[in-house]
Amino acid sequence: MSQDTRDPFTYALSSNSAWAGYKSHQNPDFFPRLASGQSPSILWLGCSDSRCPETTILGLQPGDIFVHRNIANIISPTDINTSAVIEYAVAFLKVKHVVLCGHSACGGAAAALGDARVGGVLDTWLTPLKAVRNAHADELAAIRDDKARAVRIAELNVEAGVKVLMANVVIQDHIKERGLQVHGTLFDIGSGRVRDLGHGTGKPRAAAFGGGGAGDGEVIRGRHATLVFRSEGAGMQAR
Amino acid sequence: MAQEDIKNHLKETHDRVFEHNRSWAAEQAKKDPEFFVKLSAGQTPEYLWIGCSDSRIPAEAITGLEPGEAFVHRNIANLVCNTDLNVMSVINYAVRHLQVKHIVVCGHYGCGGVKAAMTPKDLGLLNPWLRNIRDVYRLHQQELDAIKDEAARYDRLVELNVVEQCRNVIKTAAIQQSYEKNGFPIVHGWVFGFQDGLLKDLKVDHESMLHDIQKIYNLTDTA
Repeated sequence: MSQDTRDPFTYALSSNSAWAGYKSHQNPDFFPRLASGQSPSILWLGCSDSRCPETTILGLQPGDIFVHRNIANIISPTDINTSAVIEYAVAFLKVKHVVLCGHSACGGAAAALGDARVGGVLDTWLTPLKAVRNAHADELAAIRDDKARAVRIAELNVEAGVKVLMANVVIQDHIKERGLQVHGTLFDIGSGRVRDLGHGTGKPRAAAFGGGGAGDGEVIRGRHATLVFRSEGAGMQAR
Repeated sequence: MAQEDIKNHLKETHDRVFEHNRSWAAEQAKKDPEFFVKLSAGQTPEYLWIGCSDSRIPAEAITGLEPGEAFVHRNIANLVCNTDLNVMSVINYAVRHLQVKHIVVCGHYGCGGVKAAMTPKDLGLLNPWLRNIRDVYRLHQQELDAIKDEAARYDRLVELNVVEQCRNVIKTAAIQQSYEKNGFPIVHGWVFGFQDGLLKDLKVDHESMLHDIQKIYNLTDTA
């Protein structure tokens, strides 16, 4: 899209129209089914970062993931915004998995690792991440590489966030009543892979999630057509 | 279902996600070997998307925007409350640090949050959050009460809620100051319809909305 000379706003609307046409062509029942309700099995708690679009990177479809994304995927126990999302997803939609996902090269992590003020309300928002940094100051300072240090604080942030999730009363009730699962994961922007960090209710299953599984190399394509986004506009190509 | 079946089912749904992720990563790398290298270098999104957490509206999928093009915040019923540090941090970062050009507040017809807010029931923790939607109703009570068909009344409330949240975005210091200095970001109100998958532009007039609210909410130094 960046090569497109038109207003990006107009582009997005025209892309939407092409996408809607593509989806209905592929499956005429797609939108009527969506309109009848949602029953997602996953609640995704991730970063607002534009490089982490959850449905895209997981290769899933509209209707699959209930989503909350905020700055640096921080889970603050008294944040009413996140708490309302968790309550709705867990108690009403009865999702089966809560997935907290951090990522490499996070701007929030970089800010928390620095000593400068970010400004506005951001310093207050980033306080839990600053606390994580303080709690692991020696370990983080010992990492020489900036990128590796940012990855490590992102991991520690997920670990801390999962602890808050495990202390949430709604989540506790649903773990006990129906085996709700809580996971801590990290998205590596440099490779596009999601890694299970093994916090929460599960243990890391490296054998299942590491590279080389049966899913490698599979391509998920539409059955009758391909959606193409180009500089001259989005379109649908029938096969 | 036996306990073992439930266990297996839970395992299956989670595995699928990681399998799809591997396929997606491989496919992206095949299409453009530099894709993830470029992504790692940083983000310069043109958009801030404020949408509903509803699973049926993945911002990127319905707009065709690629990873790196839209900074995203999603919460229950796409609300922008001035005391919510979560959404306020998102707006602040997107405007002041990423310098996004457009902010889209996107609601959707058939929103469960909007419906729940209008149900006379104590929803515990959700009460304070959903209260904001009842306030939108109160602001437009006359118009909404006049709509006899219930579904049509909810649809209208969804639209009015989006417009109100656009107004709340424009009330922030970050937007007012950036707009005065740079001429962006521009705020848009959209609504997504499940029936056809199409986005409807509510044609929020950024300029006149800003002008109107600045009589009371002006946070720029120039009067």
